Amino acid sequence: LNAAPERAPRQQVRFLPSPAPGGGGAVELVAARVPVLADHPLVRGPRFRKLKIGAGHRLDVKASGVFVLGIGHGNKLLTDLYNCHLTKVYTVGGLFGKATDDFSDTGNLIEKTTFDHITREKLERILAVIQGTNQKALLMYSNIDMKTQEAYELAVKGLIRPMGKSPPIITAVRCLQFALPEFQLEIHCLHETQQYLRKVVHEIGLELKSSAVCTQVRRTRDGVFTVDDALPRTQWNLRSIQEAIRNCQLKVETELEKTLA
Amino acid sequence: RGFCVPARPPSTRQLREADEAAPVFQYAGKAARRKDRVFVWGFSYSGALGVPSFVKPDAGWKKPRRIQPTPYRLETEDKISSAACGYGFTLLASNTRDITKVWGMGLNKDSQLGFQRSRRDQTKGYEYVLEPSPIPLPLEKPQQTRVLQVSCGRAHSLVLTDSEGVFTMGNNSYGQCGRKVVEDEIYSGSHLIHQLKEFDSRVVQVVCGQDHSLFRTKKGSVYACGWGADGQTGLGHYNITSVPTKLHGDIAGVNIIQVSSYGDCCLAVSDEGDVFGWGNSEYLQLASVTETTQVNVPRHLPFKIGKVKEAACGGTGNIVLTEEGNVFVWGYGILGKGPNLTETAEPEMIPPSLFGWSDFSPDTRVAHVRCGLSQFAALTNRGELFVWGKNLRGCLGTGRLEDQYFPWRVTVPGEVVDVACGVDHMVSMVRSFT
Repeated sequence: LNAAPERAPRQQVRFLPSPAPGGGGAVELVAARVPVLADHPLVRGPRFRKLKIGAGHRLDVKASGVFVLGIGHGNKLLTDLYNCHLTKVYTVGGLFGKATDDFSDTGNLIEKTTFDHITREKLERILAVIQGTNQKALLMYSNIDMKTQEAYELAVKGLIRPMGKSPPIITAVRCLQFALPEFQLEIHCLHETQQYLRKVVHEIGLELKSSAVCTQVRRTRDGVFTVDDALPRTQWNLRSIQEAIRNCQLKVETELEKTLA
Repeated sequence: RGFCVPARPPSTRQLREADEAAPVFQYAGKAARRKDRVFVWGFSYSGALGVPSFVKPDAGWKKPRRIQPTPYRLETEDKISSAACGYGFTLLASNTRDITKVWGMGLNKDSQLGFQRSRRDQTKGYEYVLEPSPIPLPLEKPQQTRVLQVSCGRAHSLVLTDSEGVFTMGNNSYGQCGRKVVEDEIYSGSHLIHQLKEFDSRVVQVVCGQDHSLFRTKKGSVYACGWGADGQTGLGHYNITSVPTKLHGDIAGVNIIQVSSYGDCCLAVSDEGDVFGWGNSEYLQLASVTETTQVNVPRHLPFKIGKVKEAACGGTGNIVLTEEGNVFVWGYGILGKGPNLTETAEPEMIPPSLFGWSDFSPDTRVAHVRCGLSQFAALTNRGELFVWGKNLRGCLGTGRLEDQYFPWRVTVPGEVVDVACGVDHMVSMVRSFT
């Protein structure tokens, strides 16, 4: 960053003595534009010595996916994005037949069960129930009086969402793949942690009279940022970061205007 | 000194060995079937919920439960195929060939649950039945006939069988049981159950209004008897009828596939998707065709909402379901479109997004609609139950005691197959998930 061309030094107008056009030793003051010495690179030193980087929503060690970071002034945008309470999309992979203590496949085994009675239909029924109860929670935690006409209108448009602290709420679930004993779900949620999603997988296993562990948690979208905008490890260099910031600026601005207006 | 080594996180090999050594438990086999259950909720002091411990607790320190605000499981021996809620009592019917096919609970002051012999005094009957008790029907072939459907009104009930016609019991002061009105008849503790067989073809649906009864036959004609001061019998006059008589008017010659009534207004749906209505219209239920408040002849309601599949009539509001899965409401009261809409004569659609429809699940639609006296219930094809309306004594089952102005999902641990709505309680037939 410091090697990039810097901005031009500030100019100031100073009255410098210079020899008069006439002869003799008389000195006249002539106005001239002169660079300020304090802006000289050797005086000032490198422009950036440290950068303030803030992190968006947490992503724990065993999970992967989109992780939003803010640099410098972008940290203020991070707080605004947090207050927007946008949903995040995860791809969660699960495995039937095992139950472990930390709900993932690397934990201590607690129990093994059969799972040949599970069908895709049963799983989808359970997912519909999860969605329904979470829909109710969404309406309840949004702190709107249910008796008003505006509550009805927001409910019709589907715009009711909790604008404050709330327990984790799942707004939508869908089964992407189902091949016994593995299955994959797409979960849209709010205010959640990855461990909560693993717990949800475990509870789905219990509902189906079997047990399940979570093998993979991958965040595919965090508010407006999707996997396409995200930079993989090979692209962690200055040029790609600058380009990514430029691409996302417009999206973030429109989203903030829409929600916080 | 090396004897006690702190535990390290298990390595992959240790995990694999533990995994292979663990025993496998089986909780459900491949042939595990989904179980059928009954859930009840609402006002319990009348005994209509069928749980005696709500009214008379089994321990001295427990308090009686006046209202059950959330669904409560009712244990039944047989699979209940049909249920109906009346005004303070409930009937449950099963499809079996055993001798007991119908159970009743709740108010029995007019013998609407038949004669329930009291244990203390063998000559008298119970006035409040707190538990589902079998109702003895005078069947000719009790081990062959099946009960298809039950229906309950204010103080009378109808039981439809497949080969022996319709059985009626309860209050007959307006002829709603289909037999001649007897002056000063004492209905409480009465053993009389009347059997009706003379219709033009087999009866396939029975519906009870508040004090009248409607019968729909296989040929598509509708018969009515009972109180007619609001024209709810649809026979062209405002007197009572004690013998089931065929209805004419706009439904003459039309094949009716569904009839519905709960208060004093009646709706009928034909096989072509037209809606016909008659009865009380004080709440703008039939105001789209006439200004009069009592309509005693069935009139066609010219609504341009599409082909109607199912209709349900409440005390003051009506609801219909079209073939596309849209729900329309009209009438008076809490109609389900927010607190601002209290009355309308033309049907208004309730947006499907309130029933769980979204871009994520675009094939969620409403499959059935039901009506209580001032509540509405809708069942979706995903097995979810949405209720709205006046929450009289907790009958909506939402867990709160406030009125609900737009459809709200009721949390039931299972897939709801059918629901019966009453004045202050509801009964639902549910299938478990796995």
